[in-house]
Amino acid sequence: MRSEHWWYTVPLRLRSIFLRSRVDRELDEEMQFHLDRLIEEAIAEGLSPQEARSAAMRAMDGLEQRKEDARDTRRTGWLTDFLDDVRYASRSLRQTPGLSLFVVATLALGIGMTSAPLSMTDALIFRPYPVPHPGNVVTLTSTSRFSSFELFSYREYLDIRDHTKSYDGVIASGDFVPFGYSVRAGEVARVRGGMLVSGNYFSVLGVRPQLGRGFRADEDQVPGRNPVVVLGPDFWKHELASDPSIVGKTIRLNGVDFAVIGVAPESFPGMQIFVRPDFYVPLAMARRFSTSANKDFFEDRDDRGLIVRGRLKRGVTLQQGRNELAALARDLEREHPQSNRNRGAWVRTQFQMRTRADEANWKFGVIFAVLSLAVLLVACTNAAGLLLARASTRTREVAVRLALGAGRSRLIRMLLTESLLLACLGGLAGVGVGFVALRILHRFSIPTTLPVQIPFRMDARLLLASLVLSLASAIAFGLAPALQSTRGNLVEGLKAADVEPLGRKRLWGRNVLVVAQVSASLMLLTASFLMVRGFHNGLVEGMEFAKVAKDHVLMASFDPRLLQYDAARTQRFYQQLAERAREAPGVQSAGLTQNPPLGLEDFEAMRFVPEGVQMPDDRETFNSAMDTVDEGFFDAMGIPIVRGRAFRRSDGPDAPRAAIVNEHFANHFWPGADPVGRRIHLDRRDGTPVEILGVARTVRYRDTGEKSLDFVYLPLAQRPVSRMTLLLRATAGPLTVLEPLQDIVRTLDPNLPIVDTRTYMTIYRYAAVDGPGVAINLVTIMGATALLLAIAGLYGLVAYNVSRRTREIGIRMAIGASRPDVIRLVLGKGLVLVAVGTVIGLVLGFTLEQLMNSMLFNAGGVDVWVYLVVVPSMFLVTMLAAYVPALRASRIEPTEALRYE
Amino acid sequence: MGAGGRKARAGAWTFPLITERTLPSVTDMSKPNDLVQGTLDLLILKILAFQPLHGWAISRRLKTISDDVLQVSEGSLYPALHKLEQEGWITAEWKQTENNRRAKFYSLTRLGRRHLERESASWHLLSSAITRVVRLSEA
Repeated sequence: MRSEHWWYTVPLRLRSIFLRSRVDRELDEEMQFHLDRLIEEAIAEGLSPQEARSAAMRAMDGLEQRKEDARDTRRTGWLTDFLDDVRYASRSLRQTPGLSLFVVATLALGIGMTSAPLSMTDALIFRPYPVPHPGNVVTLTSTSRFSSFELFSYREYLDIRDHTKSYDGVIASGDFVPFGYSVRAGEVARVRGGMLVSGNYFSVLGVRPQLGRGFRADEDQVPGRNPVVVLGPDFWKHELASDPSIVGKTIRLNGVDFAVIGVAPESFPGMQIFVRPDFYVPLAMARRFSTSANKDFFEDRDDRGLIVRGRLKRGVTLQQGRNELAALARDLEREHPQSNRNRGAWVRTQFQMRTRADEANWKFGVIFAVLSLAVLLVACTNAAGLLLARASTRTREVAVRLALGAGRSRLIRMLLTESLLLACLGGLAGVGVGFVALRILHRFSIPTTLPVQIPFRMDARLLLASLVLSLASAIAFGLAPALQSTRGNLVEGLKAADVEPLGRKRLWGRNVLVVAQVSASLMLLTASFLMVRGFHNGLVEGMEFAKVAKDHVLMASFDPRLLQYDAARTQRFYQQLAERAREAPGVQSAGLTQNPPLGLEDFEAMRFVPEGVQMPDDRETFNSAMDTVDEGFFDAMGIPIVRGRAFRRSDGPDAPRAAIVNEHFANHFWPGADPVGRRIHLDRRDGTPVEILGVARTVRYRDTGEKSLDFVYLPLAQRPVSRMTLLLRATAGPLTVLEPLQDIVRTLDPNLPIVDTRTYMTIYRYAAVDGPGVAINLVTIMGATALLLAIAGLYGLVAYNVSRRTREIGIRMAIGASRPDVIRLVLGKGLVLVAVGTVIGLVLGFTLEQLMNSMLFNAGGVDVWVYLVVVPSMFLVTMLAAYVPALRASRIEPTEALRYE
Repeated sequence: MGAGGRKARAGAWTFPLITERTLPSVTDMSKPNDLVQGTLDLLILKILAFQPLHGWAISRRLKTISDDVLQVSEGSLYPALHKLEQEGWITAEWKQTENNRRAKFYSLTRLGRRHLERESASWHLLSSAITRVVRLSEA
């Protein structure tokens, strides 16, 4: 029935849209036919042709009106009217090409500026998991006194999986870690990235492999039994040339043959934001990839390294999930007091996980997004100001339309169509600007060989956002002018040609625009200066070591697990490696570290109880970041020992346990006292005692903007770690020692791959130059754009005022006003606006500074320099923008001005 | 002239002539507009049920059938026809008249026929109900 309806009506609608003139002609003809018959009839009755005609017209009861009624029945009026409006708008925009172009460019900048920040915000916060129904995938975390974002151990995961009822499956995955990959045995392994996942990973997420299958439940049951692997789409495509017969073949991972059972689909690059795993391997194979030598992944309840996620059942609320998991955590605490004391559990949505308070990245994204929207606001106010100025020159046109009977709402629609057209053009160009801005973001080079990605891109979501912003700004900058120009008094409008009616109300609106521009751009400039100074400050303190190291240090990472070395052999390997490296030509010193400072990977954390320190009531241990290093580390990295001594060969496995702490640690726990010789206990009050041998200078560990943090170094000989990085400090450039290094490794074990070789420069660049550079660039560009727009806006306003008051100024000068008088008259207004805008901008900037300090820089206090630089220069520049037209006003010749109309 | 002109109804200067959207005016009745509006549709459909006709012929037929009781203003026939066409109840075709002039002939569609059946049924129901009520008051 419905379809039959459309069968008849759709062709009609299409006809009335696309063959409009023909349809209208037919209507004319049809009514004319009727009219002719009426006339014929009347003539037949004896009327004269003249009389017959007017009688017929009367009978038709308003011919044109009836035609209009007939047209109304087509129900395409909204569209045809809109098309009319678009045609009209494009014509009228072409008539003022300069103004149109300026508005489009302004909007392009405004909308383009939002692309990069919005893409960042989207990737870091909003972009859903690349799985079906991503909304009900939640993350389960273990909570302790120190963090509510801790991971679960394998045993805990099994308990959660088997004892919760809120989920359609609970999955677990390990960290993204390097895998040694080779096609066949005997070939030197190369390093790729992969992760351990539970057997139900793909089925619960609803990800169907594009080739082969996902894991079966039984493949994840017995430790070590099923060496099977699902490949990531990128790896399959690039490394295996999309081999369609790959399923069933074997590849070697960490020295073991794995059967390829499937390839993950292109649509599933992984669950994490920044990485794209090459391999997925069942948790049951964990021993091959185990990270800590002294813990048993399958048994130890405190070996917590699994991210646990669940798919909430339909109808189960988040709160129910939380309650259930909390109850389970209490059971675990009762059953396993040793490992689970004071440990709870919590459930979070993707959004809640991504916006965790201890993460800085997403905050940058949000701050950028807010700033970029401020730029867009400035752009919109600019466009609004220009359109207002234009609207006042169109008073007469609008009045004529109103007089002819156009409805006000119809006129507003027409004027809004104009701004819509402008906004669409601006949005289109803005997407282009956005592409460029995103290219800046992609200039990041991330110092790793692992498959990482920069997730900021121009995608459908971003295009949609740009479209919405374009439409919103069309209304924002178009509505006020449209409302204003259709409000006026008809009679006034018809009489007055292009002269603005008197009244303060109109000017008031424009003044608000200028104040908004000045204050918003002042705020943006403040922000960019703050960011520049914030990063700059970060580069001064605690970075001395890096400035030297970047030109001399070569790093090479090793992971003997890739060749199935046991703990003793690993230790021996590292010892020999470091010894021979120190003797190599061109090497000044060499050392080993688990993670170099400012590197990509985070440090391990340790728990301890310092001796002789009163513990606060609510905690049993303190936490600190830590690194495992050998005796050569401090020399090689260039971190000075300020008290006591560095590690020695003699601090071996049989010697008393030793540690070195940083200055911040020392001042934190023993302020004013000498920490050397004091002891801390690992893990608990009666844990292994460790003696502090020395104090190292506090440096930047995670990023250049961080607040100083506690840091502990433990000797490698007493704390074996499998994956270490060798630091070679060269007397000359770092690459001069590359070849000797390769020789040494070849003599030690020709099969052992060097996981990653790079100079410390790459890390320095990433942490101290590129990362902050991108942020500074973005904010500076935004600030500069806003300032530019504000200048243009102010200039436009004052210039417009001058031209509007040319006649008045002429009269004033004719009756004796001097040039300075005129300048004062014109400038005075601009001065007041700039002053008001500056005050508001100061307040906004100050608020923003507080916000940025609390979120990003931990600087505290007010950065007076920022205001000393920004405010006067802003004031000067904007005054200049007002001064130029004022000067022009003072050059007006009274005789000409009086004739000016 | 893109906008403004066409839908000139609201605003300060409208002529009384235009504001009054009279559809059929019915003699000897105060203004039962809604009723009559629906009725006009019904009448047109009924007339077209016999044969395809052009607008002029429909208006003549309306006059003769209703003995001039229902005076449909000449002009308002066309909006009604176009509305029915847009609903998919009638469809139009340009053909030659017997006097060899081009005219737009309307004919009933299957949908229109069904609609007509439904509408006449409900009209019967309504009119018999009203008749009963009127008789009741007479008694």
